[in-house]
Order: sequence, then structure tokens, then C-alpha cells
Amino acid sequence: MLVGIPVEANQSRPVKPIECADEMSGYLVEVASDRSKVAFSKIFGYFAPRLRSYALKQMGNEALAMELVQDTMSNVWQKAHLFNSEKGSPSTWIFTIARNIRFDMLRKLQNRKEDICSDDLWPVLCEQTADANETSLEEQVTLEQLGHLFDALPVKQRVVIEAIYIDGKSQQEVADELSIPLGTVKSRTRLALQRLKDMIDDHD
Amino acid sequence: MIKYHPSEQQLLQFAEGTLPAAESLMLSAHCDMCTVCQERLRYHSENMAKTSLHDEADNPALDRMLANIIQQPEAERPSLNYSSPSTIELDGRRFAVPRALRRYIHKTGNWSSLVGKLWQAPVDLGDIGMAHFIYMEKGGRVPEHTHKGSELTLVINGEFSDGIADYDSGDFIAMNGSHTHAPGSDADEGCLVFSIVDKPLHFTSGLARLLNPFSHLFFK
Ligand SMILES: [Zn+2]
Repeated sequence: MLVGIPVEANQSRPVKPIECADEMSGYLVEVASDRSKVAFSKIFGYFAPRLRSYALKQMGNEALAMELVQDTMSNVWQKAHLFNSEKGSPSTWIFTIARNIRFDMLRKLQNRKEDICSDDLWPVLCEQTADANETSLEEQVTLEQLGHLFDALPVKQRVVIEAIYIDGKSQQEVADELSIPLGTVKSRTRLALQRLKDMIDDHD
Repeated sequence: MIKYHPSEQQLLQFAEGTLPAAESLMLSAHCDMCTVCQERLRYHSENMAKTSLHDEADNPALDRMLANIIQQPEAERPSLNYSSPSTIELDGRRFAVPRALRRYIHKTGNWSSLVGKLWQAPVDLGDIGMAHFIYMEKGGRVPEHTHKGSELTLVINGEFSDGIADYDSGDFIAMNGSHTHAPGSDADEGCLVFSIVDKPLHFTSGLARLLNPFSHLFFK
């Protein structure tokens, strides 16, 4: 093996999307926003048999293969809000979830300790990957700092942030409780985090 | 600017999830720093999704699985986790650590001084092995050595040279028994690297050869 391989900087090799990418993207959005069982059934109907064929090859046994499919599709159902169509197609997102679960399953089968886990190697299902701005904020703020700055937020933003980050509610739940559109919850969250970030930057 | 990247084969296996854990960790950290490889990884993942997810006949057990899954509630949003640090410190200087390596910051031991303006801090990767943060002050140089196994290095911050090439922040370097080199930094700011060595180094020149019986105490 060589020292490291120089790569042309501006290579771009567009990947042709699979036929139903837009359709499946739409279903994922519906699952994320409305918990639509119909939309999820469509996603499941398309991907579960394909995942099963992948899983059978990887795990070599029906029970483990079905466990891999089940864990993957459960994540799709529970964490559809983390799908971002700008970052890739639904099939890529679902494949990378399956790959991560496979990695952790195989390590567990080998009785390895949890010294390394798929989330660290490929942050597919981290909340942080959903929004880069929020990530950089999270890295910089300490809990104590945050407490002082919290009170300075406009009440409407503070209520949303508290519900999501302290009570652990989903953005949809907050929207329902406050009877405001999901989009409003998202923008208040973003504004509040940005405001906190600005205040912290000023602190330094 | 980053000039040295993982090979196509390494990236393919990383995307597939079949690359050994230590190498995967290095690639993941490199991708945190390298937009070129983020794009290469995205490309391979997209391709792999297409070739791996073949159509297959439906299976009755899947219907039960579907019914089971849609009973589950949406995942709770985790509250923000402020506890994990993102920098390491040496002599009052703070260095940002790539996302993939942050989990190991609290498993990093104390800095100790080595020969010739070199500092190292051991990192316990558990069953994957040992890694080190190594800091080369300006003028610091690791004695010329070759490798019995493989040596993976990621430049975290700064510049160094090893007689083979010049490296900059983000560069990914894989060495094995066919390489002999003497890494050292002449940059004013010095250079911090993260390195995983699976076998002790083998020193090749001058007095440094005397270090060989003890080389497992250094750099490994
Ligand atoms: Zn790269």
C-alpha cells in the first residue's frame, strides 16, 4: 500500500437516482411529519424484501437476517425525521442504516465490547447530522452557560426549546400542543439556537 | 490543503462496513476533515445501496414485522449532550479533534515527553488496540524507522515531513514494512497527529537502533 493516495480535487461522478427515489422521499416526509402508516407501508413494501435479500447474504441465517431487517425498518419508522433528501436518496439512507446495524450486530456476535460503534464511524442517525448549525452550537455551549442565556430568549422561542431539548418532545408534538404549524416550530428552534450561539460568541 | 487520501479500495470497504475497525476509525476521522472524501464516500454508498438492495420475493413474515413496527412510538429526541469535549490540550494550546475521535478524548492518558521535542499521549481504543496523539514541536523528529505491521496516521493540526513527502492538516497516511521514514516538523506551530500502530516500530539508523528493544514503550 502506498503512502496515501492523491485524489483529483474536483471529481464529480453523479449517481443516477433509482426510479422511485422521489416517491419514497415523499413517503419518508409523510412518516416524519404525520406518522403516516400508509406511507410507511409503501416504504416497507418496497425496501423490506430488498433488505432481507441483503441481510441473508450478510448474516447467512434467516433469524439474524430478519433481525437486521426489523431493526433497520424500525429505525426508519422512528427516525424518519432524520432523513434529509439533500444528502442522498432514500435507498442510500436506508442502506447505510442497515450497514451500521450489521456492523454492530457482527461485533456483538464476536463478543466485542462497545469500544467502537457504528454511530461514531458513520453518523447516519445522529440528531446532529440533521443540522450542522445546531451541531456547532452543541459543541460550544456548556449547560451552565446555557442556563444564564436561556432567560434572554423571547418567550415563544424559549417555550419551544424547553419542550424539545429539556422535555425531549418531538417537534411535531410541540406543534400539536401549541396548535402552531410544524414549520413554525422548526423556524423558532432554528432562530433560538442561532440567537443562543450569537450570545455565546459575544461572551467570548 | 489535504493531498493524501485513503485509497479507493479502503473507501469502498469503509462504505461497505467491512474495513477493520481501527482503519475505519481513521477513515471516519479523515472524512470529518475532508470534503473530497465525504463526496467519494457518498458516491460509494449510493452505488452500494443500488447494488445491494436487490428485489426479492415478498415473505409472509414481513407482514407481521410491518404490523409490529407501526405500533412503535416515534423515537424520543435526546436532550442535548453537553458532556462530550471536542478538544484536547497540550501546554495551554487547544486542538479541535475530529468528530469521529471525540469519544476517545476521555480515554486519552497524560502527555509524556519523548526524545527530541516529541510528546505523546496514549489513547485506549479497547479491543481495537492502542493509539497515540503525538505532538512534534518545531524541530522535533521521530528517529528513522520502518514498521513490522501497519502505521496509520492522521494529521490533526499542523505540518510535518518524513523524508518521503510533506503533510498538512487532514492528510491520511498509511505505512507498512516497505516504508522507512523519519517524521519531523519544522513548522513554527509544530504538528499534532493521531496514530495507530499495530506492531512496535523498528528503528533503522544510528543510535536509535538501541531503542529497538524498548520501542514498544514508545509509539505503541
Ligand atoms: Zn480525503
